[in-house]
Amino acid sequence: MENILGTNLDRIVILAYFAIVMGFGAYFGKYSKTTSDYFFGGRRFAWWLITISIVATGIGSHSFVKYSTKAYQYGFSSTMTYMNDWFFMPLFLFGWLPIIYYLRLGSIPEYFERRFSREARYIATFMILMYMIGYIAIQFLTLATALYKIYGIPLMLTVILIAIATTIYMHFGGQTSVIFTDLIQGFILIFAGLLLFYLGLNFLVDNTSYSSGLKALWENLSPAEKLPLANFNSPPDFNFVGIFWQDGIAGSIGFLFLNQGLIMRFMAARSVNEGRKAAAFNVLVILPVSAIVVSNAGWIGKAIANSIPGALPVDLAPNDVFVSVANLITSPGVFGFIIAALCAALMSTSDTLVNASSSVIINDIYRPLTKNKASDEEQLKLARLASVLVKIIAVCLVPFFNSFDSIYEAHGWFHSTFTPPLVVGVFLGIFWRRFTSAAVIATFVVGAFLMILGQMYPSLVSPFSHGIEFRPGRGYSYIGALYNLVVCAGVGVIVTLFTKPNPNKNLTGLTVFDVHKLKNIFKGSDVNELTGKPVIVNYKIKDLKEDMVSFSEDDMKIANANKGDLVYIQDSRWWLGGLKSIHATYDTPHKESGIVYISQKQCDSGMFIDGLPLKSEKEM
Amino acid sequence: MSFYQTWLPFIYLYGIGGVSFLFGTFLIFRTGALNVNDPVHKKWVWVLFYGYFFYAFIHALFIYLAIESV
Repeated sequence: MENILGTNLDRIVILAYFAIVMGFGAYFGKYSKTTSDYFFGGRRFAWWLITISIVATGIGSHSFVKYSTKAYQYGFSSTMTYMNDWFFMPLFLFGWLPIIYYLRLGSIPEYFERRFSREARYIATFMILMYMIGYIAIQFLTLATALYKIYGIPLMLTVILIAIATTIYMHFGGQTSVIFTDLIQGFILIFAGLLLFYLGLNFLVDNTSYSSGLKALWENLSPAEKLPLANFNSPPDFNFVGIFWQDGIAGSIGFLFLNQGLIMRFMAARSVNEGRKAAAFNVLVILPVSAIVVSNAGWIGKAIANSIPGALPVDLAPNDVFVSVANLITSPGVFGFIIAALCAALMSTSDTLVNASSSVIINDIYRPLTKNKASDEEQLKLARLASVLVKIIAVCLVPFFNSFDSIYEAHGWFHSTFTPPLVVGVFLGIFWRRFTSAAVIATFVVGAFLMILGQMYPSLVSPFSHGIEFRPGRGYSYIGALYNLVVCAGVGVIVTLFTKPNPNKNLTGLTVFDVHKLKNIFKGSDVNELTGKPVIVNYKIKDLKEDMVSFSEDDMKIANANKGDLVYIQDSRWWLGGLKSIHATYDTPHKESGIVYISQKQCDSGMFIDGLPLKSEKEM
Repeated sequence: MSFYQTWLPFIYLYGIGGVSFLFGTFLIFRTGALNVNDPVHKKWVWVLFYGYFFYAFIHALFIYLAIESV
């Protein structure tokens, strides 16, 4: 095996990075005591913590290579997929998010059982697991492809080493480890991407007559490369309308409504409103920044190729532009740091998916089979084993995905195969009360069959092609998503019209039409919507009924709270982001202002420190 | 640069996307999921529309600048 990239300093930087992240993640294992902690982080985190950790989840290791390639070929339109996610935000923020949060759904398949039937849940479980494990395998493959060139270790051995490294902190820490390691990895990803952009602009200034890097970049791109959206229907491998249906519609719904990893992240938020803030900030601020982070190597590469002849190889393959540009504009050590950012992208995306997969295995296979009789400790142990099992299966799948012509083809194949039926099933389930169990199963089974027909007979897809050129042997790539969505939705609608909904099925809280009732369902009594103020208190230990805490009459007046209302109590240091916090219920008040009585169990769960004040806020 | 390269993708994106956005907004309003009498929800209405026009503005600006640079 030939070592072709990097220096020893780069290799040391990458190894040091792995060691630091594993230690950091393992440290936060102490915060996972129950399955709720392991999967959902105890539903306690502030929006900003959730936001930054989502960044690292959204940027996979393939993102840097993939978007740099498109940026080099087509310019600013490489950002399209990062900037078309707003259209479904109203339905997500005020429809789906309250449903999953207030119904305390453990997984997406659980929704399918509660909304439809157990059979629907099992099919959804299979499809979602296949999707997530396939995604993990592709992440392993992408990073291993880069790392084995640096270390000279065979590809499959590199894959196994990466799997072991990510297992170490995941195994002990669960969702809390995922959130906190993703927090630092999110910062590293953004910093590394922007550093590359900064160095690239400086390189342009140093090697051209322009005094400003941004001006040098702008002037050395053609007008077509400055357009933010691709040409409407050509070329066939990168056109606006195909990517709109594949990514802007199917991808956005899949990402917001079906990504179990993302959903679990929002459920780790301390409230629905914090989840909304995290989602909105992510789409409005973080995604545009991420678009620059993952694409800029391609833009810089194109400007260098246009303005500094000979700086990059004349026959440079677009796929190699990220590594070539990083090599050209960085010094030894910095290149290692950039590759460490690729590692960050892989580790943060795969840890989220592994945690989500083990959640699905426990919630949707183990618990229904054992009728939920196993203790929480047993389930936690099994969850950790499940995360190892998921990685073993993912490693075994790597050779299969490696057999595709490119990683993108493999990625596109399972995206288009597993997403549309689920997207249609969950979307019609939430927004159409009449949608029946028979219809959702038909959507999964018959819809999948029609999708396969579409792949075998591209003439079925051609009415949806919008004039995109057909490529013999490769079919219609992106616009196939429109055909898949139409046939799945068509099957769902037709079967619904010819079947009757189960009259015994209680749909309360499971559709958007009942979202206004969800707070009452969550609380179990009438909701107190009066606005109050946060209260800073010191705590004392006292034996109380489970989940109850006792505040003074004065403090409850400030909070506008009544006995039976829900309260969130956290360490008053804001920068902990809710790491040390609990949810509880107001008990009968006492007379000691500034004091809250909590049980020893609550104190342990919140990891409160003696002498440090707590901040409490009435929830509802 | 032709219309297919410049404004057609923009019109398609914010036309079809806009229909999805308005349908979603109408549905959450109609079902009571979004309660405009709630001051917190009221702020969210502004955020939702701000997001839509923010992205439309960014895309329109870059299309305009690209056309001007020809």
